[in-house]
Amino acid sequence: MIFRLFFLFVTMTACMTSGRSAAAESVKPLVVGMELAYPPFEMTDKVGKPSGVSVDLATSLAKSLGRPVVIENTSFDGLIPALKTGKVDLVISSMTATAERAKSIDFSDPYISTGLCLLLKKNSGAKTIADLDKAGAKIAVKKGTTGHIYATNHLKKAHILVLDKESAAVLEVSQGKVDAFIYDQMSTFQNWQRNKATTRAILEPFQQESWAIGIRKGNDDLKQRVNTFIREYRAKGGFEQLGDRYLKEMKGEFKQLGFRFFL
Amino acid sequence: MNSFLVQTHGRPVPPAARIFSWLLVVLLVAALFSFAFSHLHYGWNWSAIWEYRQKFIQGWLMTVLISAASLLASLLIGLLTALARRSALLPLRYMSLLYVETIRGTPLLVQILILFYVVANAFGIENRYLVGILTLSLFAGAYLAEMIRAGIESISDSQLESARAIGLTRNQTYRYVIFPQVVRQLIPPLTGQFASIIKDSSLLSIIAVSEFTLNAQEVNAFTYSTLESYLPLAVGYLVLTMPVSLASRILERKFHYAT
Repeated sequence: MIFRLFFLFVTMTACMTSGRSAAAESVKPLVVGMELAYPPFEMTDKVGKPSGVSVDLATSLAKSLGRPVVIENTSFDGLIPALKTGKVDLVISSMTATAERAKSIDFSDPYISTGLCLLLKKNSGAKTIADLDKAGAKIAVKKGTTGHIYATNHLKKAHILVLDKESAAVLEVSQGKVDAFIYDQMSTFQNWQRNKATTRAILEPFQQESWAIGIRKGNDDLKQRVNTFIREYRAKGGFEQLGDRYLKEMKGEFKQLGFRFFL
Repeated sequence: MNSFLVQTHGRPVPPAARIFSWLLVVLLVAALFSFAFSHLHYGWNWSAIWEYRQKFIQGWLMTVLISAASLLASLLIGLLTALARRSALLPLRYMSLLYVETIRGTPLLVQILILFYVVANAFGIENRYLVGILTLSLFAGAYLAEMIRAGIESISDSQLESARAIGLTRNQTYRYVIFPQVVRQLIPPLTGQFASIIKDSSLLSIIAVSEFTLNAQEVNAFTYSTLESYLPLAVGYLVLTMPVSLASRILERKFHYAT
């Protein structure tokens, strides 16, 4: 009798707790890591709330998974370690999918393609990236970005200056302390617009790249769902909407200047 | 009451007790760290950073250079500022007060950025290593100035009166009476400040000075092995600061006399 009661009690408790944990599992927030220093993709609005293309993408993705979204603001070179150690579930931070990074983490299908461009100081005579591969040239890069990787692998003769923040690198170019800053096409354009008197830009990309969502290795189920989401989102015109909401001005200006625009 | 684990401060500690207690401490700390690291789901990858050991070594040497230069310069600046604070010339006195209060009241990060991108840029000084050393020296110099000034002012008036009574000039008083005592008092806070300089040099990484921290961060960026890059960083700084504390203890014992 006692044994049967005890058995019943244990079974009931097991059912209740497993039920609760299953329910808790599905409403566990989706923690997305990004560096909120990259307008208009990752930025904060006037009151400090995360906003931008990647934030909206993350919110839509979380909604499709049925989980609340939590944006974790992490510095760019700390995103992959944060993903590896489980501090974040996904990385949506305009991160390029490279073979080197793919050794550490998995990437979803690409969702945007862009390219590396140059922001040059005003009196620099360089016309292509190859002009900068000579002794005495100083190139600024942002730590951990594909610009950093490209410069280290391909610009062996130039002196590479590794900086933590995009703003510091732009300051270095505008003050003439470095010859060029390697960064993506859009930011190069924006930085050039803001510093027209002291800089010039080469907006034809010398290396094509595509951005993807970062997922921890072994998390294949999540990866499949993310890929499905990207496919469906693109099919229903989600990316066009994002482009209109955040990048309309830039699209127009690029068209005027005759440059290819993506998205 | 003295036993194996208890010994009143100042009395010599028997070697057996010392070894046993140190062992206990090391075991406790090791247990704490094992617990912390065991909860980490992390794929260790030491081979990747072994490839980049040259970067670590170069960065470490640069940190040694920058710290040594800043140490000397800051000591000089601190000494001059402390004397200026007690000077009879009013503009000098107020200038040094302004310098000390401003530098001590603002973050080093802000000072590095302003001194390099604004002040040095205005004067056309391009060399970021020079500006970095200067910034660090100015920063530490303000703190050292206050420590030295406190040391000088702690010498009781009776000593100054006695010095005057036996006919010593102002310079002689400083040289034979004040400074020997001040040096003894200064050794603990001074070594603290020196260790601080060594560690604060890591902030120079934000203006792309290629010192130890920046190199470790670059290796981390290439290999995505964060802990394997940052643990050698901690060890490297310890290797630099331990001789400083060792020297401090030796000097303290040497200058230990009743005043």
